[in-house]
Amino acid sequence: MAGLPLLPELLRQLFSRPATNTFPSRHLPSSVTGFLAKVARGEATIHPPVPTPPKFRGKIVYDREACIGCSLCLRVCPAHAIEFIPETKRVRIYVTQCIFCSQCNDVCPKDALHMSPEFLLATEDRYAESQIVE
Amino acid sequence: MSAEKTKKTIPYTVPIGPVHPALKEPVMFTFGMEGEIVKTVDFAPGQTHRGIEWMGMRRNPVQIVHMTDRVCGICGIVHSLSFARAVEQIVGIEVPERADYIRTILHELERIQSHLLWAGVAAHELGFDSLFYLAWRVREQSMDLIENLTGNRVNYGIIQIGGVRRDISSEQRSLIEKGLAYYQGLLDKMATLFLEDSTVRMRCRDHGFLSENDARILCAVGPTARASGLNMDVRQDYPYCAYGDLDVKAILPPAETGGPRGDVYDRIIVRLLEIGQSVEIIRQCLESLPPGEILWEPKMAKLLAACKKAEGEAIGRVEAPRGECMHYVRMAGKEAPESWKIKASSYSNLMSWIPMLQGEQLADIPIIVASIDPCLSCTDRVAVTRNGRSAILTKEDLTRLSREKTRRMMQ
Amino acid sequence: MIETLPAILIGAVLVAVFSIIIGLLLMGFDRIVAARMQARIGPPLTQPFIDIRKLLAKENVVPENAIPWLFNLAPVIALASAITILFYLPIAGFAPVLSGGGDLILVMYLLTLPALALVAGGFASGSPYATVGAQREMVTMIAYEFPLAIVVVAIAWRLAAEGISLPFSLATIGANPVWGLVGPLGAIGLLILLVVLLIVTPAELSRVPFDTPEAETELAGGILVEYSGKNLALFSLTQGVKTVAMASLVVALFFPYRLAAIAGISGFLGAVIDLLFYILLITLVTFISVSVIRVAMARFRINQVVSVYWIYLAIAGLGGLLLVMVDQIMGVV
Repeated sequence: MAGLPLLPELLRQLFSRPATNTFPSRHLPSSVTGFLAKVARGEATIHPPVPTPPKFRGKIVYDREACIGCSLCLRVCPAHAIEFIPETKRVRIYVTQCIFCSQCNDVCPKDALHMSPEFLLATEDRYAESQIVE
Repeated sequence: MSAEKTKKTIPYTVPIGPVHPALKEPVMFTFGMEGEIVKTVDFAPGQTHRGIEWMGMRRNPVQIVHMTDRVCGICGIVHSLSFARAVEQIVGIEVPERADYIRTILHELERIQSHLLWAGVAAHELGFDSLFYLAWRVREQSMDLIENLTGNRVNYGIIQIGGVRRDISSEQRSLIEKGLAYYQGLLDKMATLFLEDSTVRMRCRDHGFLSENDARILCAVGPTARASGLNMDVRQDYPYCAYGDLDVKAILPPAETGGPRGDVYDRIIVRLLEIGQSVEIIRQCLESLPPGEILWEPKMAKLLAACKKAEGEAIGRVEAPRGECMHYVRMAGKEAPESWKIKASSYSNLMSWIPMLQGEQLADIPIIVASIDPCLSCTDRVAVTRNGRSAILTKEDLTRLSREKTRRMMQ
Repeated sequence: MIETLPAILIGAVLVAVFSIIIGLLLMGFDRIVAARMQARIGPPLTQPFIDIRKLLAKENVVPENAIPWLFNLAPVIALASAITILFYLPIAGFAPVLSGGGDLILVMYLLTLPALALVAGGFASGSPYATVGAQREMVTMIAYEFPLAIVVVAIAWRLAAEGISLPFSLATIGANPVWGLVGPLGAIGLLILLVVLLIVTPAELSRVPFDTPEAETELAGGILVEYSGKNLALFSLTQGVKTVAMASLVVALFFPYRLAAIAGISGFLGAVIDLLFYILLITLVTFISVSVIRVAMARFRINQVVSVYWIYLAIAGLGGLLLVMVDQIMGVV
């Protein structure tokens, strides 16, 4: 239609599949935590999120056995998210501080640090067990 | 006209901001209105200062380079590239050629996603939400591509001092080619949707004027300046990365669409054409992507040592999607830089709001404000508070304070 | 005809409940189809009900600068007057509740009342955004009244020219569908008038591209910016009822058909079929004049709203009127 070039496209879209990714469910559940609990019990199914690409940088994974306590990762961490524990000569990583640059992965001489594809990390407690990696 | 007299002739004022649906980021506007017509314009940035430079001056360059990703929410590469280029000049690092090409590819992918994001925001400001959804949907393709190449959608973390952190594999190469073909096929459609829509044309043509002379005097940069007819583009005037080898010309509104007029419509044209230019640049880069290393020094400890030894100052300039972005860095043989100053592109463009908005209607404020694509969290570098109250510094105050600071640094 | 007082009261309550429910459902329908056209999923059909329930549970905030009695009275007047419009309009072939008391001219006046209440509420809220929004609402009202009047007059004139008495009465219009009276030229004229009326509807309902009084990105909600809680809920209900009223007006003027009567079904089944057919018709009108128009355009400036109505639509309307007249004269000759 002259002057309104978007109109034909809009009418076409009326009959095609919506582009929305319905994560976690088609409509917002009345309680998200309740819905997630239901999913955990197997009563509901979660619609999967968009898959992550191969080298995605998600929550950090720490191989405590491989670590030698050289603390090089502390020097390159922009967010000061890594703490060195002198007693055990190992590090502790605060995920709520981490900015997911994965620079510590690059610098680690023993390959003890990796990024997992996990990204559903939101929580209300910044010192929750899931938010500290050691 | 004296300030007193101006006040009398203005019937009422409309405040817009610091938080308002017309603004995507906080800035405070005060409009003196006469009916629906804007008579006077005043704005106060500095509402979203986060102290990033202060944080940077307590960290080493390798840490800062990933912090610069967070300066802006949209430009994930502009600030880190600009900072890295400044440090590379000080340390005397020669970036491997392949890294330069990869930097260019990502830089242009970012321009595509940023301009599409802007196009969506502009459509929303016009009250045209369908176009907004469409623009943001097609933007996803470039975001997915960037995520695949760098590992993240927004904070890429791809730049390292002396190169890039990830190489482009042959599978990724074919992904990029697919993405380019997608955008190539889309360009005409986007141009039709934005430029031939009569309601968009009614709202944008001949509104938000910025004359060529005003643009020059107010030091506008990027698409804002080019839409007013200034032939300037850092990629053309001061080539960096791989741009020296490529064919890059500043894009001005073509004569067949009415030539450079400097209105909102011209800014839409320039940005849409630049998406096409970016596609072309990425294609050229892929064709002549040289083999070789991607980092000057893969061992980060050695890199840090080299940075620590370096002394000197430099400016890194890049052409961000919004215009020229500059990082000034000064290193003095310490781990952390002695000084680091960011001049974001929007900083240069903010002043052009005043001639653009004067005499326009209240209804045009959102689209005119959005037409320079302001990015205020990049721009806000100062927030002055004294005794808990904010104060305004005059030009003289700033000159005095700068001299004092220079003296402190010289000691 | 229903004429006794208790019957009128029962009818009024029924119409009010019916219009509120159908109005909210129409708003839900509009949101879903608009979302689908924009390739989104959109909210469930019952979302407006959920919104209203939530708003009713919330506190009413009256701003410091407001005139409280007017600020609180405006939403009540708006909703009451919007429902009153429907007392004079035929719904699903049933005669209007107050059929004896008013005609099309009264309906036109009543249509301005919710908007006037909105303007009063806007001025009473003491915010610069609401004031600008209220000024714009007044200008918009003045702008769309003219083409609306042309459409109404054209149809009444055609009926009067046929020698039918009481041409402005909605019962008369319902009994004599105007399409049956005109020749091909007149049909083109009527089609133009229908399009004019369909474009007046979004302005009457303040929807994009004529939503300048509310303009989210410019005025942050404009007229309604200071309203919250129950008052905002009343305005939302008004919006729904107005949608039904405008759609019913379009249907009453141009499609006063009863499917059951045509098919020869009477009694309860006939009434149900009529009701469903009527709901289908108003949904169709809402789809065209609210959903499609609002997704396909950018918002106009207030001066562009005026020029669209006073120049383009007025000329189109007068052209339509002229065609209807020429058709009638040629028919007589």
